Amino acid sequence: MAENAKKGSEDEGGEFADFMADISQEIAQRVESLDAAAAPKVAPEPKKTTPMPRDAGLILEWENLADRMIEDMR
Amino acid sequence: MSVVNYGTREITCKIVYYGPGRSGKTTNLQHIYSQLPEERKGKMVSLATDTDRTLFFDFLPLDLGTISGFATRFQLYTVPGQVYYAATRKLVLQGVDGVVFVADSQKRQLPENIESLQDLHANLADEGFDPRTIPLVMQYNKRDLPAGEISSIEELDETLNFRGVPYFAGSAISGGGVFETLRSIASMVLSRLSAPAAKDA
Repeated sequence: MAENAKKGSEDEGGEFADFMADISQEIAQRVESLDAAAAPKVAPEPKKTTPMPRDAGLILEWENLADRMIEDMR
Repeated sequence: MSVVNYGTREITCKIVYYGPGRSGKTTNLQHIYSQLPEERKGKMVSLATDTDRTLFFDFLPLDLGTISGFATRFQLYTVPGQVYYAATRKLVLQGVDGVVFVADSQKRQLPENIESLQDLHANLADEGFDPRTIPLVMQYNKRDLPAGEISSIEELDETLNFRGVPYFAGSAISGGGVFETLRSIASMVLSRLSAPAAKDA
C-alpha cells in the first residue's frame, strides 16, 4: 500500500511533488500500522477444564433462599 | 491533536510557524503556496498591514488529497511576531500539532529569537502542551545575507536548540530549506498520529 501512495503525485512537478511523495508514503505506512493495531486480536482458545455436572453449583430455589436470608437478617 | 478519524476518513494536522517579527514565517508559507499545483491551490489567507507586517495570522490550507483512503489536510499558520500580539499567538497555538520555529539568523536579532522562543514555550505551556515534547523543528532563516551579518548555524543551534530537534538552514525568500523544513515537521507530526475512539464512529 505504501508503494502505491507515490503514484498519486507522479504527475505533479517540483518541490511539492517530492514533498507529496514522501508524505504520502509516510501516511500510508502510518495508516497501515494503525490498522494493524486496531485489528481485532484472535481470541485465545478456551482452557480445557474438568467437566462439571449440569446442575453443579446451581441454586435451584431462589425464592425460598431469598426469604430465608431476609428472615435470618430479622 | 492530530488524529486519524476513521469515521470521516480524514487526517488533519495543524502546523504553526512561530518566530520573531520579520524572521520569514509568512515568506515560508508564500513559497509553499507558490509551489502548489493549480488544482491544489486553495486560498492563502493573509492579513497584513501596509508595511507587510502580519497583522493577525496567515493561514494556508494544504489539501493533499486522498492518501490511503484518507482525505489528508495540513493547516499551516503563522503568528504575528511583534511582541504586542501576544493574545493572537496564544489563540493560533490552540490545537497545534507541530511547530516550526523560524529564527532570524542576523546577529542583531539573536535577543529577539531568544525572546520569541521563550514566548513560544510559555504559550505552549499555557495552552496545555508540553514544550519539551511537542513536535518542533528549527529553521535558521536568511542564510542568504552577507556572512558578516549572520550568526553561524552552530552558534544559533547552540543558543536556541536546547532540545536538539532537527534544524535547517533557510533562505525562504528564494525557497531554500522551506520544503525540507515542512517535510521534517510533517514527518514528526505524522509519527504521532493516533486513532482514537472515532474509529467506530
